[in-house]
Amino acid sequence: MSAPEATHPLAAVATPGLRGAAGVAPLRVSLPVRETVQVMVRRGREEAFAAAMEASFGMAPPAPGHTLAGGAVTAIWIQPGGFMLTGAGPGLAERAALAFVGLAAVEDQSHGRTTITVSGPAARAVLARGCRLDLHTRAFGPGRAAMTQIAHIGCLLHQVDDAPSFELTVFSTLAEPFFHWLVEAGSGDGVVIA
Amino acid sequence: MTQPHRLATGGHVDRATRLSFSFDGRRYEGHAGDTLASALLANGVRLVGRSFKYHRPRGIFSAGVEEPNALVELREGARREPNTRATVAELFDGLSATSQNRRGSLAFDWMAVNGLLSPWLGAGFYYKTFMWPAAFWERVYEPMIRKAAGLGRASRLPDPDHYDAAHAHCDVLVVGAGAAGLAAARAAGATGARVILMEQDFMLGGDLLNEPGLEAWRRETVAALAAMPEVTLMPRSTVFGFYDQGVLGAVERLADHLAEPPPHTPRQRYWTIRAKEVVLATGAHERLIAFPGNDRPGVMLAGAARTYARRYGVRAGETAALFATHDGAYDAAFAIAEAGARIAAIIDPRSDSAAMQRAREAGFSVKAGSVVSGTMGGNALRGIAIGAQGSGARGDAVPVDLLMVAGGWNPAVHLASMSGAALAWDEALHTFVPGTPVQRERSAGACRGVNGIGAAAADGAAAGRDAAIAAGFAAGPDNTLPDTLAADHCSYPVWEVKGRGKAFVDLQDDVTTNDIRLAHREGFSHIEHAKRYTTHAMGTDQGKTGGIVGAAVLAEARGEPVAKVGLPRFRPYTAPIAWGAMAGQEVGKHFQPVRRTSLHAVHDAAGAVWMDAGIWKRPAYYPKREDADAWASVLREARAVRQRVGICDVSTLGKIAVEGPDAATFLDRVYANTFSTLPVGRARYGLMLREDGIVFDDGTTSRIGPERFFVTTTTAQAGPVMQHLEFHLASAWPDLDVSLASVTDQWAAVAIAGPKAREVVAGMVEGIDLSNDAFPFMAVADCIAAGVPARLFRISFSGELAYEVAMPAGHAAHVWRAAMQVGATHGIEPYGMEALGLLRIEKGHVAGSELNGQTTAHDLGLGRMLKKKGDFIGRVLAQRPGMTDPSRPRLVGLRSVDPRRQIRAGAHLLVDGRDQGWITSATQSVVDPGWIGLGMLREGEARIGSTILAANPLMGEEVPVRVVSPHGYDPENRLVRA
Repeated sequence: MSAPEATHPLAAVATPGLRGAAGVAPLRVSLPVRETVQVMVRRGREEAFAAAMEASFGMAPPAPGHTLAGGAVTAIWIQPGGFMLTGAGPGLAERAALAFVGLAAVEDQSHGRTTITVSGPAARAVLARGCRLDLHTRAFGPGRAAMTQIAHIGCLLHQVDDAPSFELTVFSTLAEPFFHWLVEAGSGDGVVIA
Repeated sequence: MTQPHRLATGGHVDRATRLSFSFDGRRYEGHAGDTLASALLANGVRLVGRSFKYHRPRGIFSAGVEEPNALVELREGARREPNTRATVAELFDGLSATSQNRRGSLAFDWMAVNGLLSPWLGAGFYYKTFMWPAAFWERVYEPMIRKAAGLGRASRLPDPDHYDAAHAHCDVLVVGAGAAGLAAARAAGATGARVILMEQDFMLGGDLLNEPGLEAWRRETVAALAAMPEVTLMPRSTVFGFYDQGVLGAVERLADHLAEPPPHTPRQRYWTIRAKEVVLATGAHERLIAFPGNDRPGVMLAGAARTYARRYGVRAGETAALFATHDGAYDAAFAIAEAGARIAAIIDPRSDSAAMQRAREAGFSVKAGSVVSGTMGGNALRGIAIGAQGSGARGDAVPVDLLMVAGGWNPAVHLASMSGAALAWDEALHTFVPGTPVQRERSAGACRGVNGIGAAAADGAAAGRDAAIAAGFAAGPDNTLPDTLAADHCSYPVWEVKGRGKAFVDLQDDVTTNDIRLAHREGFSHIEHAKRYTTHAMGTDQGKTGGIVGAAVLAEARGEPVAKVGLPRFRPYTAPIAWGAMAGQEVGKHFQPVRRTSLHAVHDAAGAVWMDAGIWKRPAYYPKREDADAWASVLREARAVRQRVGICDVSTLGKIAVEGPDAATFLDRVYANTFSTLPVGRARYGLMLREDGIVFDDGTTSRIGPERFFVTTTTAQAGPVMQHLEFHLASAWPDLDVSLASVTDQWAAVAIAGPKAREVVAGMVEGIDLSNDAFPFMAVADCIAAGVPARLFRISFSGELAYEVAMPAGHAAHVWRAAMQVGATHGIEPYGMEALGLLRIEKGHVAGSELNGQTTAHDLGLGRMLKKKGDFIGRVLAQRPGMTDPSRPRLVGLRSVDPRRQIRAGAHLLVDGRDQGWITSATQSVVDPGWIGLGMLREGEARIGSTILAANPLMGEEVPVRVVSPHGYDPENRLVRA
């Protein structure tokens, strides 16, 4: 038997189309196909890890609360000495494991985490309905990241661009209630699911 | 002719827009910009409600949130909302309102007989009267009181509207959009700060709406604020609480001014605001005066009568008197006179003042040194008595239908008080004002005793600028402020005019001056006690008009100054808030997030009956058409496992990847047993204790590599165990080089259990020799399962030969289907939580019911697992005498003597009538049919073989049970090793 396509946790509910009001500037929602890898640096190996990161992914480890993009892979700071690498697959976990032998623990979370991208002028107001972080341009912006709770669900949030677009990464087994909240919160402006 | 009391011009109502509404079934017309109260007054409706206890007729008393009387049921059916203040209910076309708390019609309420009984209905009446017999309280007295007193009726239907919540952040939050608030927001906004201006009214302006001469300034200021990109104007938003760390709560009414919310629009939105600096510009509420009959319909706060005339273009009476105690009140007389009413008299306890002279010059009859000593009338005011100040005489009667009362101003200090600031007594204003701030807040304008529009605006502008500077901004340009002559608002303190008849300090709760004195006489002299004994300053208005008057009456009774008596502590909410807004989206099935495994759709398709396991949904069992009942399904599934093979979703177990050079050392410390000796490719059952020695969690941990472990936890404790591990790694042993990652969601897992399990696994797994020698009990290896990279564990919860296959969650459905396909020839059946529980009880494995936060390893028969060498969490405290007491209840197996008699978890275990333990888990056995269970029993081991009673008084059951070993099924573990 050959390995089949993985089932996306939101396959049944995130069908393309408009939800809520047919607003002029709806929230745009998409489900990027991603591999997600959790990397945790060994004690005292921070410098060697940074060098390996540079060599293999073309970027330094991002500073706390920030993200850095190196080519097709984005690194998101999630905790002291901890990063989430995300990018198109396949094989990101294997690449990371090879790159960081002896320098960091590498755990594939591609199935364990589900990423939802929200974009458009309504994004900040919609997120504010469940997210207590200040996402105003003076307080946040592209390249910024935070671990927080949105609608009672743990969420890794980072801003991608000035549209503004945000990527929201949640535990896959909680993706469905999270998605439900997002659609409800955005229904006043309308939610267009790609 | 409709609206006989509406003026032809003036105010902020749109006379071109006619809105139809009904009150008590009668149809009326009002205008856009009206409140229900202003529209009722325009139509000459003066009697709007009956009082709480005495059912006295009541009219509209105020023009705002402080309204004690005009509480109505708004809307009908599922949207019916009781106790809505007509004075703030924005009129919309089709509005329907009903008066409350009446038997019969509003004009003839037979419960008004309570008024005659009033000598016996004073404060504390319920506590004194309805005492005996005690059994009557719940069935007779309380329903009777609730029927007689009480206010409106809530709709008992589900709320058809939805509610929302949101978070806001700003540099400066300004609460209140009167002159002070508008000026503050503009000054703060001019610095470039992020400003939010919240106003509970649907129009911005506060008292400016009563000043046609300042309308240009109001409009210009609002327009300037609207043009500032970082200023957010939020009308219809009530800030109800000021909490720690600059957090405030508010409710925005998005659709209360509409018949029903438009699609996709919440009715209300609950805001949590985090502000660097706060400017409170909440204004002041006018104070009532406690004279006999001060509650008759037609007695109204002076400022309210002025607002109805100036803002709404409504004449609240035809012949009016003003009872003033300060010069600021006199504009009400001019306003109502301009509206066409006749001023019969102005009553003022003072001897003379500038305003009194102006009033005389205008031709008004000013009675200096006088007070209103009583009122006449029934359902409407017909006249007042005017007596000399301090004489106690009733004096002359003057016919009026409107009495405007101005007892002075009560600054709205609620939010400042909630923020932690003490209140300070202002000797000149005879009132409490906010004291020194504790948080980053400042009050401006009337809420700190700065009265008059010009003075308030200047105070607000300074406060707004200061707040922005404190938030880190440089001062912006100054703005023009309104220039007005300030009248003297320092009131002459007349709290009470003593005389015959009821003088109310709290109109809504029917609390009189005599009730306050009674409370004092009976020992409830502290303001907080007096409040609770009399119900003074409770209800929807929380004593906004008369709270301080009650305090003053109490102060006189105590012989102390009001400043010493103080006010009851202010707590959220400043104004009534709908429960719906607090619940927000979290109602019904969205009360909390629902967690689903990646096999959810598979179980659904198989017809699973769901059960809740924490926030998880798990299959309880999979009914088949031929199953007579749920037990038939459960027993069928369990038999399949014991006789053939079953498959079960165990994805909900917590899974933690533990990695690093010190991983084995770390696990030795957090587990009571040893893991450093575990070879790679093997799993071991582990027991984790809390610091206090009680069992915390159990599960299997596998060694995937020399420095890599795969820890599993119970479903319930997955989160707490992760926290526990992270906490100890961060705090106790930061020297250990270990990393933790939650991989619960990454890995789905299925258990395949039963005599035929090996055949099924062999049919779908590649890369592993499954022979007993090569892959024995407790072996672990990576493999390919149904073409998917997976991890195979030979572990068993059921007591059968069993495997668990873990695979990346997105592939779980594929693997499950493959197992079902391969297993079809072996009679495989999916089994749910009920069968899982049955099997583990038969086998004697402990689970959540036994790991209940009270049991030790020894209690559970797991004492030998505690390692002898080396420290571990819980070791020391587990050795306390109480924890090692041999008489502690121990785990036993139980079997109903009569196999048909059910035993239930929770039943008490009685030995010779003494309570010796309890049943933790119960089920039916498939191996030896009958009811069995596990329990905690004192001297449990010694009692094996004896028969005791399982008593469940709630069900009226006493069932004889035999005490047996908990390990009744395959005690030598031959099957799992087969």
